[in-house]
Amino acid sequence: MSVMTRDIHEQAAVPQPTQHGKPGGFLRHTNIFTGVITGLVLAIITYAIGSKLVPWGTQNATFQQVGYQALIAATYVAWVIGFMAGIGAFAGPIRWVLGHDLTHADAEYMAGKGQGKFRYWKYTTDHKVVGIQYLIMTLVLFGLGGFLAMLIRTELGITWAEVFTPNFYNSMIGTHGIVMIIAMIIVISGPLGNFIMPLMIGARDMAFPRLNALSFWLLFAAVPPLVSNLLLGGIRDGWTVYEPLGSQSPVGMIGYQICIIVFAFSTGIASVNLITTAFTMRARGMSWNRVPIFVVGILSAAIMGLVWFPMFQYSQILALSDRMLATSFFNPLMGGSVWLYENLFWLLGHPEVYVVIIPGTAALIELMTVFLRKPLFSYKMAIAGFVGVTGISSIVWVHHMYMTGWAPSAGYPFMLSTELISIPFGFLVLVMLGTMWRGKPWTRLPMMAVYAVIWNKIIGGITGVYLSDVPVDQYMHGSMFVVAHFHFMLMGAGLFAAIGAIAYWFPKMTGRMLNERIASIGFWVAFFAFQLTFMSMFVAGLQGMPRRVLQFDNAFNVSNWLSTIGAYCIGIGMVIFLFAVITSWRNGKPAPANPWGAKTLEWQTSTPVPLENFPVLPVVTSDPYGYGVPDPYDSVEKKMAEADQPVGAGAR
Amino acid sequence: MSLTNAPEVDQPEEPTNRPAPSYRIREWLSRPYARHFLVLFIIFTVVIMPAAWLVLHFMNQSGAPASAIMTDIETTIFVFTFVSAPLMAVALAILMYSLLGRDWGGRVHGEEPPMQESPAIRTNSLGVILWITATSLLAGFLVIWGLVELASITAGSYGSVPTNQQPSAVKPIDINVTGAQWVWNFQYPDQQGLQSDTLVVPNNTPLYFNVTSVDVIHSFWVVELGIKIDANPGAVTNIGVTPNKLGTFNIRCAELCGMHHAYMQTKIQVVSQADFDNWVRVMGGAKTS
Repeated sequence: MSVMTRDIHEQAAVPQPTQHGKPGGFLRHTNIFTGVITGLVLAIITYAIGSKLVPWGTQNATFQQVGYQALIAATYVAWVIGFMAGIGAFAGPIRWVLGHDLTHADAEYMAGKGQGKFRYWKYTTDHKVVGIQYLIMTLVLFGLGGFLAMLIRTELGITWAEVFTPNFYNSMIGTHGIVMIIAMIIVISGPLGNFIMPLMIGARDMAFPRLNALSFWLLFAAVPPLVSNLLLGGIRDGWTVYEPLGSQSPVGMIGYQICIIVFAFSTGIASVNLITTAFTMRARGMSWNRVPIFVVGILSAAIMGLVWFPMFQYSQILALSDRMLATSFFNPLMGGSVWLYENLFWLLGHPEVYVVIIPGTAALIELMTVFLRKPLFSYKMAIAGFVGVTGISSIVWVHHMYMTGWAPSAGYPFMLSTELISIPFGFLVLVMLGTMWRGKPWTRLPMMAVYAVIWNKIIGGITGVYLSDVPVDQYMHGSMFVVAHFHFMLMGAGLFAAIGAIAYWFPKMTGRMLNERIASIGFWVAFFAFQLTFMSMFVAGLQGMPRRVLQFDNAFNVSNWLSTIGAYCIGIGMVIFLFAVITSWRNGKPAPANPWGAKTLEWQTSTPVPLENFPVLPVVTSDPYGYGVPDPYDSVEKKMAEADQPVGAGAR
Repeated sequence: MSLTNAPEVDQPEEPTNRPAPSYRIREWLSRPYARHFLVLFIIFTVVIMPAAWLVLHFMNQSGAPASAIMTDIETTIFVFTFVSAPLMAVALAILMYSLLGRDWGGRVHGEEPPMQESPAIRTNSLGVILWITATSLLAGFLVIWGLVELASITAGSYGSVPTNQQPSAVKPIDINVTGAQWVWNFQYPDQQGLQSDTLVVPNNTPLYFNVTSVDVIHSFWVVELGIKIDANPGAVTNIGVTPNKLGTFNIRCAELCGMHHAYMQTKIQVVSQADFDNWVRVMGGAKTS
């Protein structure tokens, strides 16, 4: 008898937990509606009771009622806790305390077995369901942020009048900023990291399925407090909410702070889950030399998010404490420092940019091999690029603070680190260009997104080099040039990459083919309008227009008019693309299992993907980039090397 | 005779079949894709480089440069654009060739995955080494340029050296700048504390600003003079500049500071020394020391 067999017998003899009631237990009764209702009821009760208890008249240093602020914060917290309770997030811990461990049937119920479409509305642990939930959430956030962008451009396009009150305008730019940042952080790692990544590495699910559900529903709970700020006086301070201006904002700011604190938990949990999954759940034979590059990209983003998001969270916890408890972390009147806030904020703030860009880049590198029918060029340079960017991203944050007057000498080392990061980032560009070199592109929408993104990335990268330079930043900082630059990076390189990635994995995720005719029209309208919008914005910045203003010199009129026209066209393009997505999702052509002829594992299972992903877990014997035929020119060189004398000209 | 002086025996070299580098380069250049790529590369480089002038054109629309610092900044931007152009051209040439090239590029349409596969190039040591070398050299050049330029404009703006310790031949004029929601206030301590809400300064005289704020963070941006520093509550930051062009230029707040941030702007008038003295007298201050 071998040891192996005995182990298996012993495992079979392990007592299984007993089933209490029907599979799923309490979770049979919970869904998004019970969650929302519980959350609202608890919030209203908290507000009603709290308003009788708090001393309304007390004012803090910024003349705002401390009691009222505490009340609003308590209401938001009550919403989050009530929602999470109502959707069943606490069922697991409670069962654990009671000793009612999950049975196999329970786990299957929680993964959504046999619940049809309704499983998308529940606390479902299946990674494919969570991925779709993230996708919908992202689309909603983009819709909201995009709508605010249209309003902002309307204000800036109508140069002869104030359309909105200044305070509402400032709240809009702040809300637009943070909503888009949240959406961009999750747009790849959420839908594709959850849905595709486990499939790609040949796993049956994520490492921690229940944490997966928790991370999504925490995000869902975090968004309403943020959006509600517009009704509660707004966050009149841009998305960075620098103190002490943040303390002057009315209670809407508390919604922002609660949102960030909860969202940071969501990100942390999701990151841990993604990292553990990538490290431990890979199929047999998938060594680190055979991992699809997309997984490496998701991994770097998750590591950056896990390490740096707590900084942002702390900055908001401390700011909330300043506001409600009259502490003075950031209040210079009482010994605090405004620079402390800026440091904490940008410690996340800059890695965050790479959290946005890296997964999108990785997705494009992954898919371009399929459409070029070529192997990935220099896999190891791609790994080196991801590792380098992840590492150096942690030591560049002060380049956002060159002009704050905090430590002018810090400009020297941080200019050095910021410009050095362009070297590992250049590795990724090399991988993309090398893969494209001499390939015949199959011109489907995902591949066209690669061209669009490389263009945007070049523009964003070069303008980024300007801004990394302290003397140039002395002119550019706080101007529209910066706005145009980071839109080129976050939207041009991030969002357009996400569009390409979603178009690529759409057949696997939804089981239907995307209507590429309509989607491409939307994509290209958005792309060219994007160029118009933000190229004009570069011009406005060069001319000296500060950012976050609603009125400006007549000198900037023309570029702003062009920008506004472009922005409306982006909106039209995005709506067309969204239309294509929705109609294709509802009644598109059913997708075959592997429409692109790709070699990664997610395309090798059937579409729609079965509950446990693979009937038999795959075994990997090579990396997934075995495309292409031997290079004819190689034989020429070989002939030259083999011959006694060099062969003559006329290599072909 | 020691052993070290023993005549060295020439080892015969291993015979090699590798063709000479010059031949390899000529062979590579004879490949159609290489030629097309190079042509595209040169075209794009030539087309992109004028962008450097375009950028300066936009920056100079409102009268810049009005100081040596601004000239330095513009030179830096110009040089950066210029040296970025070849790198951008490499990328664009590959993109364009892959989309339009006839021999090795050439698009494939259709619903089904293309049967004809591309050359399986897993890596190319020479290409990788060239790329790393070129980008590192470029980054190194930009870093060194930036460090030198930063040191130069820091010296030009006196860094954080107090006025009374400055070795300059002309004693700088101290100006206390105070940002408040939503106005700038300028105080001239050397001119008996004269106060103003527009800045009037003599040409070719060093200025030294002590910048602070009474409420939230503002940012003191003298656009055409190319200086910017945050006005922080609870701290004084410094920056200096020497204007070298007569005229009226813009001062804007470059950090969101609340409701009327957009209107927090004023003017700086660079005038002759005589006009400045006159202005000081009219405003009730004393003559420049």
